[in-house]
Amino acid sequence: MQTIKLKIKEEVTSGAAKIPVEVDPLTPDKLAGKTEAEIKAVKVWWGNKEENTGDLFDVSVEGEAGSAEEVKIVLEGDLSRVKHIGDGMKAGEIEAQGDVDMHCGAMMQGGRVTVKGNADCWAGREMRGGELIIEGDAGANLCAMYRGEMTGMTGGKVIVGGNADECAAQYMAGGEILIKGNTNILAGLNMSGGKIVIEGDAVMPCADMTGGEMMVKGSKVRDIIPSFRLVGTESIDGVEYKKYIGDLAMTEKKAKGVLYVK
Amino acid sequence: MVEVTDVVCSLCGCVCDDIVVEVEDNKVTKVKKGACAVGKSKLMGHGRIESPAIRENSSLKECSYDDAIKKAAEILAAARKPLLYGWSSTVCEVDKVGVELAEEIGGIIDNTASVCHGPSVLAIQDVGLPSCTLGEVKNRADLIIYWGANPAAAHANHMKRYSYISKGYWTEEGKKKKKLVVVDVRKTTTAKLADVFLQIEQGKDYLVFSALRALLYGYEDVVPEEVGGISKKNLLETVRIMKEAKFGIIFFGLGVTHTRGRHNNIVNAIQTTRAAHTHTKFSIMPMRGHYNVNGFNQVCTWETGYPFAVDLSRGYAWYNPGETSSTDLLVRRECDAALFIATDPGAHFPAESIRHLSKIPVIQIDPFPNPTTEFADVVIPAAISGIEAEGNVYRMDNIPIRLRKLVDTEYMADEEIMKRILDEVRAIREKEGE
Repeated sequence: MQTIKLKIKEEVTSGAAKIPVEVDPLTPDKLAGKTEAEIKAVKVWWGNKEENTGDLFDVSVEGEAGSAEEVKIVLEGDLSRVKHIGDGMKAGEIEAQGDVDMHCGAMMQGGRVTVKGNADCWAGREMRGGELIIEGDAGANLCAMYRGEMTGMTGGKVIVGGNADECAAQYMAGGEILIKGNTNILAGLNMSGGKIVIEGDAVMPCADMTGGEMMVKGSKVRDIIPSFRLVGTESIDGVEYKKYIGDLAMTEKKAKGVLYVK
Repeated sequence: MVEVTDVVCSLCGCVCDDIVVEVEDNKVTKVKKGACAVGKSKLMGHGRIESPAIRENSSLKECSYDDAIKKAAEILAAARKPLLYGWSSTVCEVDKVGVELAEEIGGIIDNTASVCHGPSVLAIQDVGLPSCTLGEVKNRADLIIYWGANPAAAHANHMKRYSYISKGYWTEEGKKKKKLVVVDVRKTTTAKLADVFLQIEQGKDYLVFSALRALLYGYEDVVPEEVGGISKKNLLETVRIMKEAKFGIIFFGLGVTHTRGRHNNIVNAIQTTRAAHTHTKFSIMPMRGHYNVNGFNQVCTWETGYPFAVDLSRGYAWYNPGETSSTDLLVRRECDAALFIATDPGAHFPAESIRHLSKIPVIQIDPFPNPTTEFADVVIPAAISGIEAEGNVYRMDNIPIRLRKLVDTEYMADEEIMKRILDEVRAIREKEGE
């Protein structure tokens, strides 16, 4: 096992302008096999300039790794302006010890990202595989897509310990999401596949849904989309749920999504 | 005295082009025909920024155009995340130089769509836009729907020139043979003229669009007795009117883009238009605000592939409104310099953004003083496009129209200011590269 510790330097986050650092080149698969000096020389974008990782982070490396699977990256310090953590990663592990900025775990294909705080918007965007664990809240567009893309998450597993903001899982086509808190409006918008479980409440869930399944375990589901058809009740794990099929606004032929609410 | 006909108004997205004015001693002295009250006020002119200026010890000191342009270039060339914002109340030729400058300095370029019809632009990207020209509306439409828009106050000539009150080739009897439906949260001036007024509950637009789609597709059984404060009976009546129309048009305003659901409301509005197509001819159009807000979106799209909020800091276009849009960037304090052209964030942006702007260098290019002038560090006065400078603009229905120049001026035009800033930036960067 190898542990790479990256602690963001205070001067990076203490200016009048809080310009984000974009760390998509700092994934286990991209850093595996590199020495401490080589990691320090990896270029990352800070605004419109590319900087050496070593100039923005204190870097320390412990142990050795034969492959990316054996690499764990630990990010420390104020990460609220660190974007693209684990973006596109294929293997290994990243642990972010605090709140992280946008696009954490975006385009992930494998491995695991754990966020010890909240994750800002677009966490898990267009995720294809792997595991993303957000212990706090997730911002808007969790597991959704880049603007204009018609496919969001297609695979992998996401767990959010807190709440998720607007449009969680937009255009989701596969994979699994568990949200332990509540969701804001339009969770599962345009969903065509995969499964979402919301342990808390939801507002206007699953609009324009054409496939996949959502289960809302909370007692409050406000503003159910008026183009969903109530088809009956179903008992799941001893709990009675109303079963809706939708979204008929997409026409009956396409309305293959299933929504369970209490 | 000279009478100038076919003057084009540089105020709102209607871009009225049949205005008649009188010019005497190099001044517009009278607006004789065609303009609404607000358009007339702009044509007649009002207070101007008198001189270029640079802020020293918290007050603006007058300077030459050369000095102000040089200072602006220095700020932009040194910035790590500069924002270039505005572009909607000037001409396309200026916007083109703006995109070039953004690319040169690795900046973010964004226009006022970001705080008005940006959601519409996002929705159009998602599901397309079955639209038409205002000429088609005038000559063919027999059903006009205004949703979250109040043209009687905001686009004063819109109904008269293009929609409900206009008379066209197949609509020669005007409003007698047309139907007007208004959907709004309150009974607006426009709503008072409507055949059907649907008073919707705040933030429920999305649900009402979904219900209309279900009804247009024939699933009456699933729609509940009331949706968003509107009874099923009234929804059914609206759908009947929609189906019976020969040519229907939905005009939507900021009442839909800036309520709960935002761009997704517009996706749903466009999908409603599509559902109506299974019965009759239907179109949809955003009520664009500034006269060239659309033009910037056109220019930015053909230059970068994206319509607004484009981040060029990594050398390619990254387009992600919510992340790369001006208010989000400023509230998150991401920018370290800003250039505002033909706009007034001081009056329109959230307080949190203004707080950040007070801490970073700000450049303003504008003919008129406004709240942004109060905190700008470099102020560059410009000629008024459409009165003192000419150029191309895009009307709300994507029709390009050329603004005319009516009088001469000593003020520098936006295009020249921008080109000179770009030249200065390039000179600085070349020197740095040596």
